[in-house]
Amino acid sequence: MATVTIKNVTKAFGDNVVLKEFNDTFRDGEFITLLGPSGCGKTTMLRMIAGFEKPTSGELYIDDQLVSGGKTFVPPEKRNIGMVFQSYAVWPHMNVFDNVAYPLTIKKVSKAEIRQNVERVLDIVHLSQYASRLPNQLSGGQQQRVALARALVAAPKLLLLDEPLSNLDAKLRESMRFEIKEIQRKLGITVVYVTHDQTEAMAMSDRIFLINRGVVQQCGTPQEIYNQPANKFVADFLGKVCFFKGVAEEGRIVFPAMDGQSIPYDGPRTGKVDVAIRPENLYFTAQGPLSGVLESQYYLGDVDDCRVRVGGTLVRVITNGYAFRELREGQPVSLGVRDIMVFADDGLLESMLQIQT
Amino acid sequence: MKTAVQDHLPSADRSAWAAKLTLALVFALGLAIIAMGFLGMQDYSRSGFSSESAYYAIYALKGPVSSAWNRELQPQRAALSADARERVDAAALALLKSAWENLYNGGAEKAQATLEAAGESERTALTYKLLYATYLMNGPKVSTANRKEITALSGEDAAAFRSALLACVADENAPVPAAAEKMAGNLQGTERQAMLMQLLFVSGGASSSASDAVNVLKKAVREKASQTDAFTMIARGEVNWLWQLIVSNGRTAILIGILFALDALLLILLMRSEKTWVIDVKWIIILAIVDFLLLFQLMPLVYMIVKAFFPESEFSLETFRRLYTYPLNLDALTNTLIAAFATMILGTLIAFPLAWLVGRTNLYGRKFFRALFVLTYMVPPYVGAMAWLRLLNPNVGTINQWMRALFHLSDAPGPLNVYTLPGMIWVLSSFYYPYAFITISRAMEKMDPSLEEASRVSGASPLKTLFTVTLPMMMPSLISGALLVFVSAASCYGIPSIIGSPGRVHTVTTRIVEYVGLGQQGLNDATGMAVFLMVMAVIILFISDVVLAKRQYITVSGKSVRPAIVDLRRWRVPLTALVALFAVVVILIPFATIFTTSFKIDVGKSMLEAGNFTLANWTTVFGRVETLNSLKNSLIFASVTATVGIVIACTMSYLLQRTRVKGRKIPDFLITLGSGTPSVVIALGLIMTMRGDFGINIYNTAYIMIIAYLIKYLMMGMRTVVSAMSQIHVSLEECSQIAGASWLRTMFRITGPLIIPSIAAGWFLIFIPSFYELSMTALLYSSTTKTIGYQLFEYWTFTSQPMSCAMAFGILLIVVLLNFVLNRLTKGEFSI
Repeated sequence: MATVTIKNVTKAFGDNVVLKEFNDTFRDGEFITLLGPSGCGKTTMLRMIAGFEKPTSGELYIDDQLVSGGKTFVPPEKRNIGMVFQSYAVWPHMNVFDNVAYPLTIKKVSKAEIRQNVERVLDIVHLSQYASRLPNQLSGGQQQRVALARALVAAPKLLLLDEPLSNLDAKLRESMRFEIKEIQRKLGITVVYVTHDQTEAMAMSDRIFLINRGVVQQCGTPQEIYNQPANKFVADFLGKVCFFKGVAEEGRIVFPAMDGQSIPYDGPRTGKVDVAIRPENLYFTAQGPLSGVLESQYYLGDVDDCRVRVGGTLVRVITNGYAFRELREGQPVSLGVRDIMVFADDGLLESMLQIQT
Repeated sequence: MKTAVQDHLPSADRSAWAAKLTLALVFALGLAIIAMGFLGMQDYSRSGFSSESAYYAIYALKGPVSSAWNRELQPQRAALSADARERVDAAALALLKSAWENLYNGGAEKAQATLEAAGESERTALTYKLLYATYLMNGPKVSTANRKEITALSGEDAAAFRSALLACVADENAPVPAAAEKMAGNLQGTERQAMLMQLLFVSGGASSSASDAVNVLKKAVREKASQTDAFTMIARGEVNWLWQLIVSNGRTAILIGILFALDALLLILLMRSEKTWVIDVKWIIILAIVDFLLLFQLMPLVYMIVKAFFPESEFSLETFRRLYTYPLNLDALTNTLIAAFATMILGTLIAFPLAWLVGRTNLYGRKFFRALFVLTYMVPPYVGAMAWLRLLNPNVGTINQWMRALFHLSDAPGPLNVYTLPGMIWVLSSFYYPYAFITISRAMEKMDPSLEEASRVSGASPLKTLFTVTLPMMMPSLISGALLVFVSAASCYGIPSIIGSPGRVHTVTTRIVEYVGLGQQGLNDATGMAVFLMVMAVIILFISDVVLAKRQYITVSGKSVRPAIVDLRRWRVPLTALVALFAVVVILIPFATIFTTSFKIDVGKSMLEAGNFTLANWTTVFGRVETLNSLKNSLIFASVTATVGIVIACTMSYLLQRTRVKGRKIPDFLITLGSGTPSVVIALGLIMTMRGDFGINIYNTAYIMIIAYLIKYLMMGMRTVVSAMSQIHVSLEECSQIAGASWLRTMFRITGPLIIPSIAAGWFLIFIPSFYELSMTALLYSSTTKTIGYQLFEYWTFTSQPMSCAMAFGILLIVVLLNFVLNRLTKGEFSI
């Protein structure tokens, strides 16, 4: 229904550059997630699309129409978009029906049509029986759905969601996540979603933009980003990961801090490397390349979270919960490796990890 | 050996019994003290002193008064025509009777009997002498300045003045002499006659023996015991100290007894509901504060209401009927309502757009404008009134002169006249709009900006958003800001007294102050007027604190709120110009006027005109002992008020924020009620109850003023400290205690340093309004406790406008300086 084209958009508040040269086109009907730690510039990008901020330079198009750039600026009310705010922004002085009807009232739609449309969207978000309630009589989840209904009622081409689930409890968050995805599929609208929660991003997105300190680190499908991270930051931000310093040579990588133990490697890199291993990609086996002593284990029900001392290094291993019964702390173990990610050692690992935490 | 747990139960039981016993004893003690007090009162009333003592005192004064009568007043009376003389004599007799009736029950008959007891030839002279003596003790107040002016008249002038006064008494339509115009010009009927008679006595009252006698009496009143006892003592020449002590302290005993019993009852109720029978130190503190407020705040209010409905200890609406059928009062009532309502509308209409422009748009210099408008909040309103009077005086007002020159109008007065109801409304609005401005801009800054952004994405323009989202969300704050303006304008005394009085635009407050100047009957009438103000204030307090508070939408969201700024685009420059123009008209021009007037000799001419510039006003005013004394008084009173106030405020905020003691809301409620009560009502209540009738006599002292200031301004300080404390999470204190610090140490090392800026702010917030207070001071001052605010008011009304402008500017400088200190002290976090 709508495309968003972003050309070289840079945003600075004074000397503080919060977003650097963002370039991309969000395709019609795509579910885009802007993901990153707080302060990375993702909300700023969203607010620029909405029209609450003006880019310092660059151009923004919605459906080939220039909305920001040069001397052109289309104010938010003329962009025909729907938006859900983190605080929901449900107006406390209007009841649910009036809140949802507001965008249509502004458009001077006839009364009957308003009623029909409002009832339709309230039905989508399962709030039909709450139409005459005031927002302070609703729970957080219900208010959030009112905000969603209000954003959808005018059938926008583009829906912007600013961390809409962050104020909900875990259970509700999970169910809302799928509801939003379901609505998007049904209506086929383009969605730009801002979050710092990677699970949300992974579950819902067609494409994820991972942003850090104003720069897009990687853009791709959830699988691409998780499995083929472009850099150490991306690897570290998504999922759990441990970094080890190693030396790549002749089909293997040697870890000096693990008493020189090594794992097989057939990639292109040689010399000093940083190796990132996800704990779930390590497993206990009888004859693995790494051997050490099981130092501690934490039983979490579905999984068993273990620390294994390999030489001078602690290695985290997440294995199935069943392993807990068979392993004893202090017992010598052998580890197999399914998948590793290898990056050049640019000497920035420590500083990068420090900033990230 | 018993374990700790076993030991605990019986001891708790024991202490519960101890507490119950203590409470019962305190209650019994209270009752016993009350009984003792009543015994004292019984003796007191058996002695029959109460109705006789005033008479004795006045009779005792007759002698010293005689010489003034014989030398000066008698010849004037003799010079009148027989017809006029008869009318004046009749008036004097009527005034005497009504004055005595006010002093004690059956006074009129007593006066009649006293006069009849005297010989036929003596009777007329005695009427005047007694009236003179009565007025010396308890007559209409004449300002010191006016008194000086009248006594300064030389022999012939004085004689002319006196005969003119007598002519006025005899004939309602005769012109009032110039020197009496200020005091009697706008009075009617009996009030007018009483004032004229008083001025007559003042003019002939150079007799030193009479004023000495009065001084002796007044000194006795202050030092010995209640007024009546002092009268009696001196009139009868009896000095029986033991008798005095019992008689005069009977009331005090009853009062203390009642407080004891009440406290015990309150504690019993609280402990029953808490089910813990342990006497907590916190309760003692709460009770101390509650007792203070009960005594000095609630009792006067209740007494006033009772007095208004039971004027002769029987239910009667006579007071109201008499008051509100008197056209002058009816005028005052409608004027007050119209002025307050119009000020509310105008003030809110000014404040809302200003608050929006300054808080939520990209107006040029918005921070500066905001500071400027907030600054007006702490300018004494009467200073503004003075300025506008200089600007809009129909004859010599600067703006009128400009307009006449600009539009080539004739030299006739006008076109604008400040001495009118619209003039008063304008001045009230220009000084009370900051009240609404502050309330509204606070709410605006707290509003979650995404509420408005949600409206923008929904397709509404900024203007549409303003009216459909911002304005409705602001409504509760808007209404409570408007109501605050209403009640402040209705209970303002400074502006109506400076602008309204010369223009005969009376308001309830000016009427109350005039009535208080008229002795006992006046006090009763003032009560009737005050009840009106009080009922209005209580209703408004209820609406804004109970009804509106429930509809408050504004909630501070968890994230730091950065209000959305609306881009004014092509309206940015014109709107900035408009706001700047407003600031110039409402702030710059008035203050500049005060400043320039203070250097003028002739106020009608420009400061720069040849020979019209002088520094003498400044040197004279600030060289006068009375100015410096009043300045010293103000500084002392305000410091004491602020210090006592902030101690109470800190205690209260601890109780409110850190304890769950039941009953901590009681003093909180009383303090809120106090700050919502109109100033004149507080002062009037204190006058009526603190003159010894209830065992406390602090009338005419500094205490009564400090107590009045405390009641009115305590809440300002308390709210500041409470909100600071609510922002410090309890965990900070708990953490310190876990670390091993005692409660006291925690308070000094953790809580104290964190809230010290707010404590400083609270101190100044009590200090500044107490420093320049006028409404309460006008009722409570005595010759030794004049404050700078009242001194200024007197200079303005009776001495010289340029001089008072110099003084006003001095006050402004002090206030601005204090605000600057406050700002620095709290690192910019607070200023008024």
